[in-house]
Amino acid sequence: MTLGATSDIVGTKTRRGLTGLLLVAVPVFLVGWMIIWPIISAIGRTIWLPNDGGTGRSFSLETYIFFFTDQYSLNNLSVTLWTTGICALLLVLICLPIALYLRFATGRLAAYVQGLAIFPMFVPSIILSYAIIRVLGPNGTVDLLLNSVGLPHIRSPYLTPWGPVIGLVWDNIPLTVLILLAGLGSVSNQSIEAARDVGAGRLAVLWHIILPRISNSILVAVSFTVLGIFSAFTLPYVLGPAAPEMMGPFMQRTFRDLNDPTNAITQAVIAFCFCIVFGLFYVRSVAKNRNP
Amino acid sequence: MARVLVEKRIDWIGIFFAVALTIVIVVPLLVVGTWAFTNVWRYPSVIPQEFGLKFWQQTLARADVWSSITMSLSLATVVTLLSALICLPAAYAFARMDFPGRNILFFSFLAGHAFPKFGLLVAIAGIFLSLNLIGTFWGVVLIQLVGTLLFMIWIPVAAFQSVDRRMEEAARDVGAGPFRVFWSITLPQAGPTIAAAILLSFVGTFYETEGAWLIGAPQIRTLPVLMISFINNQPVIQYGAVLSVLLWVPSFIALLFARRVISSGSFARGFGA
Repeated sequence: MTLGATSDIVGTKTRRGLTGLLLVAVPVFLVGWMIIWPIISAIGRTIWLPNDGGTGRSFSLETYIFFFTDQYSLNNLSVTLWTTGICALLLVLICLPIALYLRFATGRLAAYVQGLAIFPMFVPSIILSYAIIRVLGPNGTVDLLLNSVGLPHIRSPYLTPWGPVIGLVWDNIPLTVLILLAGLGSVSNQSIEAARDVGAGRLAVLWHIILPRISNSILVAVSFTVLGIFSAFTLPYVLGPAAPEMMGPFMQRTFRDLNDPTNAITQAVIAFCFCIVFGLFYVRSVAKNRNP
Repeated sequence: MARVLVEKRIDWIGIFFAVALTIVIVVPLLVVGTWAFTNVWRYPSVIPQEFGLKFWQQTLARADVWSSITMSLSLATVVTLLSALICLPAAYAFARMDFPGRNILFFSFLAGHAFPKFGLLVAIAGIFLSLNLIGTFWGVVLIQLVGTLLFMIWIPVAAFQSVDRRMEEAARDVGAGPFRVFWSITLPQAGPTIAAAILLSFVGTFYETEGAWLIGAPQIRTLPVLMISFINNQPVIQYGAVLSVLLWVPSFIALLFARRVISSGSFARGFGA
């Protein structure tokens, strides 16, 4: 390859450069037009609002001031932050033990556990929502089983803020387990055995050897979760309460039902601001692992 | 923990996880499956009073079900074809050619993943509003096409990079032209991974709900969008259950093909682990 590159005459090289650029032009244009431009335009059109007279635009933070003074918007924002926080916490608490188990166990039982942990990736969230309603909803399977042994009904999480939490955690288990498991792959058996040889207990090994080595993977998993859950739409829309609603359904309703794109886009920009740290961290981690 | 590897003893932790995950992950889906094949299931019976296919006939007789199946299949096909058409040449260029700005352009496909997805969709919808693309087939195609770019470029780039360059050079040495080399050497080696990427983007597009709902509804009604309206307004439980089973078929096919790819660590590393 090196030989080929150096023996290329200059003319061929620039032509190959042009061909390369032409081949990647359409997808790159789509990224520019459908991702970068909408974000710039979203910020632009929410801080330069049309004037009352209908002529031109002028700088105004009106829509942002409205969002942060409107109690309903603030309730939606806080239920979104609450849901995102609870989901991220639950996912780490549930998936870390599973990943630890899968890292050190072998055999058919471990393969079965891994298969189940990855399975939700193949269940579309809309089917999941339906299944959760049938199981945990009114007169659902849990109610049937409790009733058959003479116990009272549960207080169904369906249409409460806990409905989306259950759905979103279920939905995000596979990728969280996979990300943590990939992180645990960098913890060598030797380092653990060495620690055990000098008398470290299981907790000490976990705390001093494993956790420091996978802290980056945990952060990646949390960032991925936050980005996915903060503006989740389907599960909160179907399983969550009508009010307060999460940012996803709130934006959708403002945009389509209230036909108020400017305020919907303001909500989107506010969502971007809350997630920017996680987004940058996530993109940096992905880019670090991948050489073009 | 390392001791588990050495000693043969009952794996209680494993049994606990297996049972817990079975209850949490398998049981809800079995309940939906059972509902789909149930004619009568009145509260408070624990098992259905009557099994049967009555509701399959009724669901499949509905015009809205057929039109949304057609819509979903044609959207997914058009998006996947367009995506393959524009992304595979680009992936080849990223893998094999040197051009100015290659690295930054390669990583630019991550941009869509740095923002909360629905927020980005609303920002795009704001632009579509002025282009009159809201509620149109091509509006939904565009928004779903953007969602496939990252996978359809990054996975094939890895596939092209893993092709043995010496074999290509050997073929060229014995006089094969560039297209002949690509067709006989490069493509057969990179093919399976590229096919996996195409399958993933077809299935991903088939289930894409948020863009279709925000940009397309109510004119463009895909299966997942129809499913939302069944959940919200349909008193007959079995319609939703039958539709869930139908809706799961592409995912099942993807499951059969993609399991090995996903279990390997390289997939998770693609997500930044």
